[in-house]
Amino acid sequence: MSGNALFGRYWPAESPVHALDPRTKVLATLFLVVVIFSAQNAAALAFVAALLVAFVLAARIPLSQALRSIAPLSFIVVLTGLFNLLFVQGGAVYVDWGWLRISEGGVAQALFVAVRLALLLLSGSLLTLTTTSMDITEAIERLLQPLTRIGVPAHEFAFVMGTALRFLPQFADEFRQIKVAQIARGARLSTSPLRAGMASIASLIVPLFASVFRHADTLSDAMEARCYHGAKGRTRLHPLAFGRRDAVAACVLAAALAAVVVLNVALG
Amino acid sequence: MNAVEFKDVSYSYDGQTLALDGVTLSIAQGSFVCILGGNGSGKSTLARHVDALLLPDAGEVQVVGLDTSDSANLFEVRRSAGLVFQNPDDQIVAAVVEDDVAFGPENIGVPSSELPGRVQEALGRVGLQGFAKRETFALSGGQKQRVAIAGAYAMDPRIIVFDEAASMLDPRGRRGLMRLCRELNDAGMTIVLITHFMEEAAGADRVIVLDRGAVAMDGAPDEVLSQARQLQGLDLEAPFAVQMSMALQDAGVLVDVCVEEERLEQQLQRLGMAAGAGCDGDAGGEGAAEGEGPSGEGEGPSSEGPVRANCLDGRVAGEPATARAAEATPSCATAVEGEAIMSLRNVGFSYAGKGAAVGLQALKDVSFSLNEGDFLGIAGHTGSGKSTLVQLMAALLQPTAGEVLARGRNLADKRNTEEIRRAVGMVFQYPEHQLFAPTVFEDVAFGPRNLGLSQEDVAERVREALRLVHLDADEVGGKSPFALSGGQQRRVALAGVLAMRPRVLILDEPTAGLDPCAHGRFLDLIAELHEASNVATVMVSHNMDDLAKLCNRVLLLNRGEVVADGAPATIFSDEEAIRGIGLGVPHTVHLAHVLGLGGCFCGIPTIPELAAQVAERWQGKAPGERPPGADAGCEPTDGSELPPDRHAPGADAGCERGCGHEPGPNGGSA
Repeated sequence: MSGNALFGRYWPAESPVHALDPRTKVLATLFLVVVIFSAQNAAALAFVAALLVAFVLAARIPLSQALRSIAPLSFIVVLTGLFNLLFVQGGAVYVDWGWLRISEGGVAQALFVAVRLALLLLSGSLLTLTTTSMDITEAIERLLQPLTRIGVPAHEFAFVMGTALRFLPQFADEFRQIKVAQIARGARLSTSPLRAGMASIASLIVPLFASVFRHADTLSDAMEARCYHGAKGRTRLHPLAFGRRDAVAACVLAAALAAVVVLNVALG
Repeated sequence: MNAVEFKDVSYSYDGQTLALDGVTLSIAQGSFVCILGGNGSGKSTLARHVDALLLPDAGEVQVVGLDTSDSANLFEVRRSAGLVFQNPDDQIVAAVVEDDVAFGPENIGVPSSELPGRVQEALGRVGLQGFAKRETFALSGGQKQRVAIAGAYAMDPRIIVFDEAASMLDPRGRRGLMRLCRELNDAGMTIVLITHFMEEAAGADRVIVLDRGAVAMDGAPDEVLSQARQLQGLDLEAPFAVQMSMALQDAGVLVDVCVEEERLEQQLQRLGMAAGAGCDGDAGGEGAAEGEGPSGEGEGPSSEGPVRANCLDGRVAGEPATARAAEATPSCATAVEGEAIMSLRNVGFSYAGKGAAVGLQALKDVSFSLNEGDFLGIAGHTGSGKSTLVQLMAALLQPTAGEVLARGRNLADKRNTEEIRRAVGMVFQYPEHQLFAPTVFEDVAFGPRNLGLSQEDVAERVREALRLVHLDADEVGGKSPFALSGGQQRRVALAGVLAMRPRVLILDEPTAGLDPCAHGRFLDLIAELHEASNVATVMVSHNMDDLAKLCNRVLLLNRGEVVADGAPATIFSDEEAIRGIGLGVPHTVHLAHVLGLGGCFCGIPTIPELAAQVAERWQGKAPGERPPGADAGCEPTDGSELPPDRHAPGADAGCERGCGHEPGPNGGSA
């Protein structure tokens, strides 16, 4: 009953993107964020969008699934877009009802900001769609390794993130279940959670946290039972190794940033 | 060297009550040991000691000869003893199968080059070849448990402990898990199976029963499980075969007490009971026409108290065979159908636009009515559409095809949704997981308050609902629901739904996860609620014996379609078809079928009824034809101590008169 392409979910497939070293993918995601923010005009943004679509296709993920994965967060995109639509003014005025004024500049800015945000979400989603939680954990841990010298608990930090990713779809499912059960008891949650009242909100949050603690108790036992004791002496099923693919990916991304800069200037 | 050795082990969580109280036992290498006990008997505490997750307060635990309290042995102990937990969702660490299986070996530093081989071997061992790259979240419960077993297996253990690992699985998953345990044991693995399913215990080499942290019984399954009365005192229930053989002895049939059903069947067949004989075979043929069996019209709602073993008193099951025979009516009563309270017409449901399930048709062309006073059972294996169906009935989902009408009002009309939701009480699986309020009173009051009732009305509803579930509002009302026992929490959750005074009560697997005693009590409670208020009740269950006991109608679902709808006796008469869709039939029905007595009963026979019928058949034979009892034992040992002339009265009463001999489990005696 759960959505398969929930944000944060892994999409199993054999593809060049899946095969990249997870460290490359984590770094590439950060790099993509920089590229996306560097794009200053529609052409540059369109170029980045095309690049992301190419990545999605190279990862053998149906485009519709990739878009669906960011759908749960689309409200952020819509809100940001609306905000810009109403508060940015300039150029021809389309609507002018006193307090409500929509102008050409507002529309352009709203679209630009919304697309940019959607692309940011998509690049984040692309990481989790193509990288298992274990690999992301490992990548973050290894990337943070230099910081352990100044006391940053890299392994623990990374493991917590990985476990959170693993449990994300499960808690989403349980939350849905709790919600339906409370609606069956007359809770008015389907309309507006803000007006539902404290009792209705507690009826969702308390059981969810009770469940989190229940799971956490057994999970820690289950991990101990399998001899987990932190990073020390741990080996890996898929040891991380940079390969030719990673070099290719790095070049593609560098080229992309260059292209965006050029487009910015050319159409500036 | 024993695989596991407990020497006078005691353990307490809180320093006051002992969870383990002087446990001494040893488990031999390569054995298959089952540990039984009610909730709170210390089973899980014992399991955690085997894996050094807990260390004894007093005494000593040795695993493959290593003292678990010596920290130098810690990883060797945990590597040697794998532990599989109850909840499939709690123990999977990784999002992808191969990562999870590799987790243990990675932790003990198995070189990366060896890991893929280990993962492959472990997945092959548990029957999950080709699952390496699959997402763990999307697996079924049974598959998740297999992943967990593979994860333990990949560490190359000597012992695997299953801590109620099958209790959250459906019957199919449970059977698969038991087969796997057997296979692992045959390959030399020591298996410690912690369970409260008696049928699972019957397959072990040795059974240990725990009670309040101490070993109460210990021996071969035949010895331990045949102690029906003692087991009941320990919140357990003897397996069906034991209850049946004892009822047969009571009815005067010379059988030995068997623990496994198949052996009881063989025994009875050797006594001259063979399939195909028909229930009118020996007892005279004057009424053969009636032998056709139940008419399938269904029976009235139960008017008798639920007939089942009570954990507290000493009865084995049901009542003595002849106790109520005299007052029985002579023919199958045809139920008067109540007015339809809810009808589904060609209802379909598909999870459109929701990822994995896109295009998945959860329900197809489902039509039936729920009538006033009905107790409708819904059965089907996992994924058959049961949950979707009950959520449609509770107006929590809208059908994508067809219509759902509640008292003529269409669910599709949004204005009716609210009203239907009020009229239908929905108790989900593990309903105690939805408790949230600071006090029991507040939690039960949540529903009535949402109905907008006044303070006084709410308070009255809460008291009434708590009384219905046998809880005292003054006693528990002010307590935190989280401070109650699991069984009490479930009652509180049920009260929370009853407080809305539903016209229809829907229960999804209401007894899941309860031990046999709590299971029985909760089932009694449901039967009692239904009888007292006659509220139309729908119960989803995997347990065919429960459905047979309580329901006047059963609906079978397979792949989203209704494959059968009718009285339990009719539904369960076609055992082959039911097995074909991954379900079973009630134990008594199966045995009656095997013995050719399938057509002898109006409803589903209770154990004493079936025993009486078998006794009649047996006594119908000339004494010379009767094989000597000594040849018929479960094991060709002591024979029978019962005198052969211990006959029940009325031995010549053929079953052809018999459809009304005794009320069935649902009461055929309207």
